[in-house]
Amino acid sequence: MTVSVGILSVAHVHADEYARLLAARDDVEFAGIADEDVDRGRETADRHGVDYVPDADALLDRIDGALVCSTNARHAEWIDRAADADVDVLCEKPLAPSVEAARGIVDRWRDAGIGLGVAMPLRFSEPARRAKAALESGEIGTVLSISGTNRGRMPGGWFVEPDEAGGGAVMDHTVHVVDLVSHIIGERVEEVYAETGTRFHEIDVEDVNVLSMRLTDGTTFLLDGSWSKPDAWHTWGDAAVEFVGSEGTIAVDCFDRSLRHTKASGEDEGVHSVFCGTDPNAGLIRDFVASVADGRELAVAPTDALEAVAVVEAAYESAATGQPVEVNRSS
Amino acid sequence: MRVGIAGAGFTARTHIEAYREMDVEIAAISSPSGPGETIEEFDLDAEAYADVAAMCEREEVDFLDVCTPTHTHLPIVRTAVDSGLDVFLEKPIAESLAGARELAALVDDADATCMVGHVVRFMPAYRRARALAIGSPGVARARRLSPFPNWGSNGWFADPEKSGGIFVDLAIHDLDYLRWCWGPVDRVFARTSGEAESAHGFATLRFENGAAGYVEASWAQPSSRPLTSELELAGNDGLVEFSSADDEPYVRWTEDGSTVERPLAKDGYRRELEHFVSRLESGSEPAVDPEEAVESLRLALAARRSAERGEPVSPTEVGR
Repeated sequence: MTVSVGILSVAHVHADEYARLLAARDDVEFAGIADEDVDRGRETADRHGVDYVPDADALLDRIDGALVCSTNARHAEWIDRAADADVDVLCEKPLAPSVEAARGIVDRWRDAGIGLGVAMPLRFSEPARRAKAALESGEIGTVLSISGTNRGRMPGGWFVEPDEAGGGAVMDHTVHVVDLVSHIIGERVEEVYAETGTRFHEIDVEDVNVLSMRLTDGTTFLLDGSWSKPDAWHTWGDAAVEFVGSEGTIAVDCFDRSLRHTKASGEDEGVHSVFCGTDPNAGLIRDFVASVADGRELAVAPTDALEAVAVVEAAYESAATGQPVEVNRSS
Repeated sequence: MRVGIAGAGFTARTHIEAYREMDVEIAAISSPSGPGETIEEFDLDAEAYADVAAMCEREEVDFLDVCTPTHTHLPIVRTAVDSGLDVFLEKPIAESLAGARELAALVDDADATCMVGHVVRFMPAYRRARALAIGSPGVARARRLSPFPNWGSNGWFADPEKSGGIFVDLAIHDLDYLRWCWGPVDRVFARTSGEAESAHGFATLRFENGAAGYVEASWAQPSSRPLTSELELAGNDGLVEFSSADDEPYVRWTEDGSTVERPLAKDGYRRELEHFVSRLESGSEPAVDPEEAVESLRLALAARRSAERGEPVSPTEVGR
């Protein structure tokens, strides 16, 4: 069965990759791209050989599912429009810049009865899946402590505009590993202490994101999600997590299967790592397409994404107060 | 130069290996259980003592190298300076701030020269990392993961009263190193998990210069995992990264498995001891004096206190 899918806003840097994956699928009719920004939308559509659709409602009328790749602040309004048109949605992370906004989206999702998932590609990372199986079967006993990284380059653009992004590195690079850890060991983050700051770039949001957390079962959890990688680094960033257990340690580095490519001249002159493992984004898109086709639930429910947003909010509160903060999911 | 060594265990062996390559004569070794086995192992022409005081009194040595469990440092250093000896002292300086301060005062009053063996400052990778340009400091990351050190006599590492615990014994390597690189730390927030023999802890740091960082230390690793040390110094104009796991200059595979060696003409232990000896010869102060080691201990104790209380702690609060 073929499903019809479009992209609602390509503001997010991941939109190009998703568009490429959609265009490559035989079971997807890639119906087009709508965007708040005509030039941006048209350019992206041209790159992938699909229509730019100026009237988003016209696109929504034609599709079964939509990827929302807008700025964080605009996820809610795009999801609202998709829900009005009874279109399923895969939304870029984080679900929203605040718990309040995320809760509003969850309520809307429940009322509308559409399928709604959130883009957490690490759940589809093969080494991460291997770790989940190993931990569930007790290969390393009881988990005592977790140490993760999700560093990257400073993305610029709207990612550093407080109104559109809702924050900086804490907003952008906390939720991936927090979601993955909760998914793998089945515990939620209970308390967060944050050291943040703006140390690498002259921007209005934080680029330092060092989080010291405790899970509901007492497991300690350290996460560095800083935008600390220079533009000249050999790749975009990293996503890694190490589980220390009572009977062993498991270390997962999601993108550690790579080639080293040296380009002697041109715009990409220099040394680059080229990922050559199983692409987690492909799994993410496959999951969404299958869900649109047969109506089954998406891998990452909006309620899971709300959890991660609550951790982000607690991190900001900790950074502001200088104290550890309990994660509050109810506000 | 003639040295007497207090202790005949893991650290003493490491130092003996270094002295054998240096122009330093190992005159005597003391150990309560007798250093005979160690003397034999290295085929040394050294006198054996069970009592360090007797060794300090009878032997004509230039300095005492203290390689004993942490809680014995203070009385042994007192014995050494009472005998007019200079002292090389294994890290950490002591298990408590009061003990460390008393030790520093003893050394000061005796006008002795004392260096504390914060060896990471002398390891080539760490030394080079500090010197590389990264712009202004942003985030520091330092990890040190190992199996529990089961070589300690009577399990002293597992007793926080003796070793000070995971932050004071193990994390202090990197806490001291990062202080040396980026200066004083304003506040620490730390967490620990596991039992004494499987302790795992991490501490986030906020430096006075505004940079952030974290140190993670583990005794919870299985014996199959060799000591893993990792370092990253990220700044606004560059990044330095190091992982011992990627550092494999010599590997040998046989039917029984594989071994990695990292041969150096002069490793960190040799470099720290050569530095100390050269400073004794020139009569100048060594790089890590007791006052410096007290500050690193204060930082480690702040981490321990933070983990106990669940709140951020300023190192200046410790001991006040």
